[in-house]
Amino acid sequence: MSNVSTISPLEWSIRPAAVRVWTVWVDHDRSARVWGAINAVADGDATSPSLAHAVFACARALSAAGAGLAMTRHDGLLEPLLATDPEIGELDELQFALGEGPSGEAAATGTPVLEPDLSGTAAGRRWPAFAAAGADRGMRGIFAFPVAAGAAKVGVLTVYRREPGSLLGAQLDDAFVFADAMLVLALDHRQGVSADLDRVIDAAFTARRAEVHQAAGRLASQQRISVTDALARLRAYAYSSGLPLHTVSVDVMSGRLHLDGDHTPGSDPPRNTPHPTDPERAEKEQEED
Amino acid sequence: MSATDRRVREVFIELSDTLVDDFDIIEFLDRLAARCSELLEVSACGILLADHHGVLNLVAASTEQARLVELTQLQTHEGPCLDAFTTGRPVQEPDLRTAGGRWPRFVAAAVGGGYLSVQAVPMRLRDTVIGAVNLFSKSTGTLDADTVTLGQALADAATIGIVHQRALARQEIVTEQLQTALNSRVLIEQAKGFLTHSLSVDVDEAFAILRSYARANNRRLTEVADDIVQGRLTIPGLRSVQPDR
Repeated sequence: MSNVSTISPLEWSIRPAAVRVWTVWVDHDRSARVWGAINAVADGDATSPSLAHAVFACARALSAAGAGLAMTRHDGLLEPLLATDPEIGELDELQFALGEGPSGEAAATGTPVLEPDLSGTAAGRRWPAFAAAGADRGMRGIFAFPVAAGAAKVGVLTVYRREPGSLLGAQLDDAFVFADAMLVLALDHRQGVSADLDRVIDAAFTARRAEVHQAAGRLASQQRISVTDALARLRAYAYSSGLPLHTVSVDVMSGRLHLDGDHTPGSDPPRNTPHPTDPERAEKEQEED
Repeated sequence: MSATDRRVREVFIELSDTLVDDFDIIEFLDRLAARCSELLEVSACGILLADHHGVLNLVAASTEQARLVELTQLQTHEGPCLDAFTTGRPVQEPDLRTAGGRWPRFVAAAVGGGYLSVQAVPMRLRDTVIGAVNLFSKSTGTLDADTVTLGQALADAATIGIVHQRALARQEIVTEQLQTALNSRVLIEQAKGFLTHSLSVDVDEAFAILRSYARANNRRLTEVADDIVQGRLTIPGLRSVQPDR
């Protein structure tokens, strides 16, 4: 992870196969561009796409000085995980050492925190110590995005710029798509899954469906695990079974499918839930995607 | 001034009350969906917001039937709400039974749900369309011009409620609010799923229980949802609450 900054220069590439499931009203270009950028960085590294590749690609796409990713630990505290270069890493660390800054706020509230000028009075009032320290190091714009879906709070992506000013609307949308990509990559990393790009993209879209989040909540209650772990487990099951995430989720909600808590120490057996040993493949509903 | 006019005024006053500390976006949109049905004399109302992928997400619906029809629209990628969102213009279909060529799967779901006509109004903020409001009716025919105008005014009130009146000047704040609304919806879906297991209820009962609990305790829906999925709110406390439907 430490050699992120040595990754070869980014080339925008769009793999045609990656856009197959999208409909006319999905922003093809944005998602393809974002995932293509991550994939291009990964290709340069000759490995499958990782969080480090996504963070690096994001900094490049937003013309940023750099970007950092902090992950939510089990105790709920944030811990800087990776950064595009040591200076950015130090700034991320500084926020957590001082206990103030946009990253912590974004993680706590689940809302992006967008600060166009660290040396402005608003930032100075909001984060007196961090704003001064950041501005001293020549950072002006700082933009923090939760890497999260509801209660599944995985971490926070922070983008640093040397120039003051807001992100443009299109850059902002890109940043959200990058944060979504990091959510997917982080969840799969937890489960040791390394999906190919096409499946990752498919799942990134389906992940926004209501049923997927209902199933994550249900699974969290059944197995007494966090919603984050539940979502990761749903995705891993979808990946290993070859079924779309949405289909798996609908089956979990209907009780047709029960995911065993095979590595959940101390979990009680689920109550009030039919316990099929195998998913009833024949009953799978048609997946519209 | 008729009783209706007075009611319209009351609703707009109610909907303008978005700057309070305990403002909850999902609660607000749910209420708006209910008020739209009431004031526009339509059978049901659904509200959809676009995310950063440009994909519409259902954030509120006045009835369960409307929720299902809206979901069909999202899953089949066709329907009046999508058209209103894409074009930024209102879409009106006075008789769904003859509209099968336009949106075959949506029409099947809507007519199956007992709806015979539909009106979709875009939710616009300056030149950006952030979502759409769908109005379903169980009778055929077009809404009259006054009703359409009122519908657009309610959609505008919804837009303002989402972005907060004070924040209209800054695009970032609009984006933040939109993200908050979409993320709140995700959190509520997770809590609903959690309750389906812990209370052995179906998804709709779970939402009714969640909402009654939040109201009875004067708390935000999203806070209660968060407490539930984090295991901070114990289930016996919820069991005593009866759904208000």
